[in-house]
Amino acid sequence: MEQLARIGRTGIAFTQSLGQSALLLWMALTAPPDRLSREFRRLVQQLYFIGVNSVLIVMLSGLFIGMVLALQGYTVLSRFGAVEALGQLVSLTLLRELGPVVAGLLFAGRAGSAITAELGFMKATEQLSALEMMGVDPLAHVLRPRLLAGLISMPVLAQIFNAVAILSAWVVSTELLGIDSGSFWANMQQVVDFREDVVNGIIKAIVFGIVITWVAVHEGYTAAPNTEGINRSTTRSVVIASLSVLALDFILTALMFGD
Amino acid sequence: MSSIASFDHVALARGDRSIFKDLSLEIPDGKITAIMGPSGCGKTTLLRLLGRQLQPSAGTVTLFGQNLRDLSPAQILAMRRRIGVLFQNGALFSDLNVFDNVAFPLREHTRLSERHIRDLVLIRLHMVGLRGARSLMPNELSGGMARRVALARAIVLDPEIILYDEPFAGQDPISMGVLCELIAQINKVLGICSVVVSHDIHETSMISDHIYIISEGNIVADGTPGDLTHTANPLVRQFVAGEADGPIPFHYPGRDLWQDLDINRGALWSN
Amino acid sequence: MQQRFIEISVGLLMLAGMAALTFLALQVSARGFGQNKGGYEVVAYFTNTSGLTDKAKVSFAGVTIGQVQSIEIVPASMKAKVSMKINKDVDYLSTDSSAVIQTAGVLGEKYVAIYPGSEDDVLTAGAEIYDTQSSMIFEDMIGKLVTNLAAKD
Repeated sequence: MEQLARIGRTGIAFTQSLGQSALLLWMALTAPPDRLSREFRRLVQQLYFIGVNSVLIVMLSGLFIGMVLALQGYTVLSRFGAVEALGQLVSLTLLRELGPVVAGLLFAGRAGSAITAELGFMKATEQLSALEMMGVDPLAHVLRPRLLAGLISMPVLAQIFNAVAILSAWVVSTELLGIDSGSFWANMQQVVDFREDVVNGIIKAIVFGIVITWVAVHEGYTAAPNTEGINRSTTRSVVIASLSVLALDFILTALMFGD
Repeated sequence: MSSIASFDHVALARGDRSIFKDLSLEIPDGKITAIMGPSGCGKTTLLRLLGRQLQPSAGTVTLFGQNLRDLSPAQILAMRRRIGVLFQNGALFSDLNVFDNVAFPLREHTRLSERHIRDLVLIRLHMVGLRGARSLMPNELSGGMARRVALARAIVLDPEIILYDEPFAGQDPISMGVLCELIAQINKVLGICSVVVSHDIHETSMISDHIYIISEGNIVADGTPGDLTHTANPLVRQFVAGEADGPIPFHYPGRDLWQDLDINRGALWSN
Repeated sequence: MQQRFIEISVGLLMLAGMAALTFLALQVSARGFGQNKGGYEVVAYFTNTSGLTDKAKVSFAGVTIGQVQSIEIVPASMKAKVSMKINKDVDYLSTDSSAVIQTAGVLGEKYVAIYPGSEDDVLTAGAEIYDTQSSMIFEDMIGKLVTNLAAKD
């Protein structure tokens, strides 16, 4: 009986948390805007902290994953004598799945945790309270630029990841595995469809960007105002965002690529 | 002597805990009013009620002659521009340097030119003695310096009332002296009203015109610093003198010592 | 100074993203993605389309000229009706062209290959290709081979 009550309480707490964060998102996005030049400047600043600072990790990861995909793909395909399909394999895997998902997980770990920690710190040092008392809405001033920056950065980062990974796969395929460069690209081009594969991948990345940033901002804003609270919230932010990315990936894949 | 703000039969509860049941006090204009009391008695909550960050569950909070309950968002904004707040650790924006922190309210709420803003900011920084530190970042400042910058920021829009949240907490004697001086000077020079929430008896008594001591949601003392040293109220005496034991007990409530150690005291002393 | 650096970096980030997207669009994905606009419908009936799916390619002389739109069974004639969308600039398919379902590559993707006929008139919207050849089923082929070999003995 007690167990049941506990489960019920957890369920209610979860639902409440979800509602609270949805309201937060809504209020932050619809709060009356400031002078556009100032909104834009804050957005650009966040694009730097969130986007530009994640480029290096995204590119390096893309490099390694592209190489590994080429090697592994070659091993499997050569058993069927279908090595010329390597280009297709690599590009479709990346564009549809690995690109958005891996870039998303990296983004959650690097940018998401940074957002949560920073917001938690601002809350603990009463900076958010100070903004409120100065007549500035912290939701519009602090949360909104971060939300928009995450939404914009993620697809950009995912495409950079894809491009780097495909190129590094090409290098490995042609230099190490002896596949003909021309047929690598030709074969790929026959199968990869811009609308089906590239655009769907971008849509996935946009959805992931929204969710990751939303989770990060909510966790930071509701963190307990002390060191332990910030630590807990930062960890939760990465975990919840990562799991959400994987779950959404399943749903989106079923919607986009199912029959 | 008029009141610039007042609390009328204010009640506030957080969760199951009731912080105030029926609190009434006046904040006189042009004076420094201190609100003191043991930790957790709700002093900071009073500041939040004044700034309308919180709303009472019953009763009225009045500021500048307006009932805070009925204000529209635009009115709240206008009211907040007339208040300066000094938060406990300064609450400076960590991504802006000292100058930009102090300039922030000007840039947000006025359309003054940068030259004009520069002059105003430098004057305020000069008042707190930190004009030379204008390019430093908040993490390069000591606690005391950060509070002084925050004070400069709080007065940059020429507020009519300044709220100080524990300004003396954790400061070395020199910093405390500096802040003391500044609070008194600013109140006199700008001709405004200050509300200081603190538990530093000595410093607060030196600068305040009127002191309220709050405990368990009620006012237990209300008078000038002089009145307080001659009070008969045992709780106030304990607080003012800093005695370890008194109406607020030393021991956390629990079992008798002899019971805990499992010793029968009677048996110990016989034979 | 600090602000300018930030703005330049963000600009570079956006440029890198655009470059990546352009690369993906041109080098990686099928060129001529504008082909979906326009085009006319052509149908063909097969007794067996084993393995042919929607969106399979329709090719002529090895060049992709269209896509399979839908495959339906027509119970009356007990055949499968394959609707194909042919690009609008393909106007040289004669009315007696034939359509054959073939296998591409070792992995067995099916596609429709159109072979030219000799008539002067060309296929237009809603036309039907009469000469069709169903896909070869692997087991049938083996069966035929075995029968042929047995017959030789």
